Amino acid sequence: MPGGKMDSATSTFGLVERFKKGETEAFSLIFRKYRRRLAVLVHYKMSPELRGTIEVDDILQEVFLAAAQDISNFTYQSPGSLMAWLSRISDHVIVDAARYQNRGKRHAEEMLRFRSASNPAGPDPVDPETPSRVFARKEGVQILLKKLDDLPAEYREMLLLAKFEGLTTKEISERVGRSRESVALTLHRALKRFRELEAAAR
Amino acid sequence: MSVEESPRNPQNPLPRAEESAERERAVAEALAEYVDRVSREETVDIEAFCKTCPGLESELRPLLESLNEMDEAPFSESSAPKSKEGEQLPERLSGHKILGEIGAGGMGRVLLGYDERLNRKVAIKLLGGRYRAEESVKTRFMHEARALAQISHPNIVHIFSLGSQEELPHFVMEFVDGVSLVEAGRALTLRQKADLMRKVALAVDFLHEHQIVHRDLKPTNILVSADLQPKILDFGLAQHLGSDTRRVTRSGEIMGTPDYFSPEHTVPGSQFDPRSDVFSLGTIVYELLTGSPPFHGETLGEQMRRIREQDPTLPRRRNPEIPGDLQDVCLKALEKKPENRYASAREMADDLERFLAGEKVHAVPTAYSNLMSGKIEQHLRELEGWREEEIVSEHEYEALRKGYGRLVEREDAWILNARRLSLPQVSLYLGAWILTVGAALLFLFQFVDLSGTLGVIVVAGVAALLADRGLRLWRSGQLRVGIAYLLAFCLLLPIALLVAFGAYHLFAKAAANPDWELLGRISKTFKQTTNAQVWWAVVLSLPAYVWLRRFTKSSVFSLVFAVMAAWLWVVTLMRMGLLEWIDTDPGKFYFRLIPAALLFFATAFAVERRHFPNDSRYFYPIAVVFTFAALSGLAGTHKPYQEWLTARLPWTRGQIEYLFIINAGIYLLLEVICERFPVSQMRSAGKAFRFAIPGHVLTSLFFLGLAATERWEDQLNNLLMQREARVFEMLLPAAALVFVYGSIRKQMKNYFVVGMIFLAIGLVRLQQDIFKQRSRWPILLLILGSLLMVSATRYSAIKMALARVVRRGG
Repeated sequence: MPGGKMDSATSTFGLVERFKKGETEAFSLIFRKYRRRLAVLVHYKMSPELRGTIEVDDILQEVFLAAAQDISNFTYQSPGSLMAWLSRISDHVIVDAARYQNRGKRHAEEMLRFRSASNPAGPDPVDPETPSRVFARKEGVQILLKKLDDLPAEYREMLLLAKFEGLTTKEISERVGRSRESVALTLHRALKRFRELEAAAR
Repeated sequence: MSVEESPRNPQNPLPRAEESAERERAVAEALAEYVDRVSREETVDIEAFCKTCPGLESELRPLLESLNEMDEAPFSESSAPKSKEGEQLPERLSGHKILGEIGAGGMGRVLLGYDERLNRKVAIKLLGGRYRAEESVKTRFMHEARALAQISHPNIVHIFSLGSQEELPHFVMEFVDGVSLVEAGRALTLRQKADLMRKVALAVDFLHEHQIVHRDLKPTNILVSADLQPKILDFGLAQHLGSDTRRVTRSGEIMGTPDYFSPEHTVPGSQFDPRSDVFSLGTIVYELLTGSPPFHGETLGEQMRRIREQDPTLPRRRNPEIPGDLQDVCLKALEKKPENRYASAREMADDLERFLAGEKVHAVPTAYSNLMSGKIEQHLRELEGWREEEIVSEHEYEALRKGYGRLVEREDAWILNARRLSLPQVSLYLGAWILTVGAALLFLFQFVDLSGTLGVIVVAGVAALLADRGLRLWRSGQLRVGIAYLLAFCLLLPIALLVAFGAYHLFAKAAANPDWELLGRISKTFKQTTNAQVWWAVVLSLPAYVWLRRFTKSSVFSLVFAVMAAWLWVVTLMRMGLLEWIDTDPGKFYFRLIPAALLFFATAFAVERRHFPNDSRYFYPIAVVFTFAALSGLAGTHKPYQEWLTARLPWTRGQIEYLFIINAGIYLLLEVICERFPVSQMRSAGKAFRFAIPGHVLTSLFFLGLAATERWEDQLNNLLMQREARVFEMLLPAAALVFVYGSIRKQMKNYFVVGMIFLAIGLVRLQQDIFKQRSRWPILLLILGSLLMVSATRYSAIKMALARVVRRGG
């Protein structure tokens, strides 16, 4: 759709509204739209220890579950606010998960409600469209993560904010406390380095 | 950290540095612009965007492409909403005005129509456009209409008419103003849900009675009206049991909604029967109770596999408020094998009704035992590990393993139930017992009105009825009740034979000596039933018990067999003159018990070796009891045994206590033999023998001591007598001590207790004789006791000290 006006029914706003009205399919579209981005974000938000004990998929599942339950409290303020909201939810979920981990393995089960590799006895997800096996399926996420891992921390952070959190350069500059210009330059270099890594991988 | 210091910034040669930095800034600016627009969720075309930044295109485009690729999933997004069949709705169908669309079924759309003549709404099912060309689908569609038209049931949607050939394929049916079952279920109580499902099950049973299998039962196919009446709709897959289905359903073609498939649905070409619908009813109950269907896979294949292989998560685990009985009903319907399910939807409805009436349901799902055996295997493996790590003792391990073993046996479902006494339970067994006693009266006494063939018919008829009913109940899965009936039959069978023998004077010839007849000897008022008749009745009954054991796979019939076989041995001995021996020489009887004991041991061992440990466990105890009875009886009453003792070992003076000590030796030998066998029940038998040893030895020593003392008191000057008495006085506490310390090795607590008791007796006897009137003796005991206690607390230190002494000495 070059330059065309987006179909309002499939825009994020449209999807959120549809879901609020009770269309479960809309939520699964939202999920598909964001899960890969969120998966990468969640991966970097989790501490390495936590990654060792909980699957990113489990966190994702939990995030989307919480989001589905809480969607009525979400108000669509601006483009990108849904991603920011999901990102905030994932922060909570990860903190909770870490807390449960610290309290002992037993409690982790209370959180991991659904069936997954780390919780094979759990029940299946309620929504058939949402089992988020982004990591389990070889969808290239692991390859992407490998490349992101190889980037210097500063560059990686910039890509995560711009691409995966979906912030504008202005928002990023506020977040990291630097000028917009400097953010743009770093982003540029990060991308260039990322391309070099891609080229090296081929 | 500033941007310029960021790592590994490739530096261009100085003269062009400024130009390059300028360019970099421009690209960065354009990139930032792009990122901002994407972040605002605008759809930005890279091509178009690059054109707005002349001169930067070559550098910018690959960067933007990389950025875009980052979150592109390699799988295609196939979930774009399916385009509705953009077909215009017809104005009218079968003369009904079309008001709109109310839903879409498997093969078409459901329209809301209005019957202007009758002034009512109707539902019209219209075959979807893309199916109209396919003749097979059209046939199926019309088939649905005809199937529906044949039946009339308040909980099944009514069909009004079939569309004419000229119009689009459709049929007109009753309009049901309601919501789908699951939707309705959210607001209902458990009882309301159960009642709703009972009605649905009855309606499905009604279908089955009309030879129709629905095959696509699912919550969306069942509407619930405001007065909580369910209506079954959508017969797209319904199948006449009699008709040749292959014409409509090509083999391999899977139809229906996968969530509510039965296992046989998932195998192409398999046969459907009403029990497939029972399974679907089970999935619906499951979803009503828990909120989601029991099986779910991410892919169709995975879904099928789960339906075939996976046990559903227990509903109570998803929602603990679900009553266990309702869970049982649900799991029983969800059995993988059709033969384990309810045989009909009516049976399921009956069980739901039982639940509603507050009675125990009949369902006993196998899911529990599967679940248990899985878990138990895991526990057993752990247990094994604990034993190796010596966290649990060998004995604890054995006890736990045995306990677990009992849990996983299938028959224990009914045993467990049988242990729980309830009013119907008690009445059931009481009834069986009264029945048996009543029947027994017929062979015990003479009845003028009920003699001869009439009596035989009455008893045999009752026995046959019991067997028939018991087998039916067992087949239908009511194990507990079925077993009660069959057990009553087991008791009645020999009785019926006895009555028949009595009526037709079979085997009626009395034994050589009329005194040998058991019944005649007990009381003269009894009818003359001979030992031979009893013997034949039991012999002829035994095969029936074996058959019942094979048919039901329930080991309780092995118990019946074992007890009857033991009784048979006794009756055999009676025919040989047992009753006379009791008066004249009981030893004869005990001697003839030995082969019975050996036979029972051999049977038990053979049965256990053939991997029927549940059956053999009834034979071992009888074998052990026979052995004990035989050996004790021999020692106490067998004349040749005593004569042998007197002749060969004159110093024993023929005192039978020595024979009991010899028996203890035999028990020890038997125990050693039993221990050598690698089967656990044989070891248990060995343990029983071992258990008896200390009592035999110590009691005998005690009595021998008393006798010796008595003899010595008669001849106080006889030094030999004195020495003998003294020896026994010393021997008793010494042997007791041996048993006390001997308890350690095999953890025999009875050795310990019995040893302690006899040690006390021995010490008292020593006080009476050797230490008469001497206070030194109790003081010595006090000191000795204290020393032992202290040394026990300092055990390791003493052991080390002793080791040092030994080493120095060496």
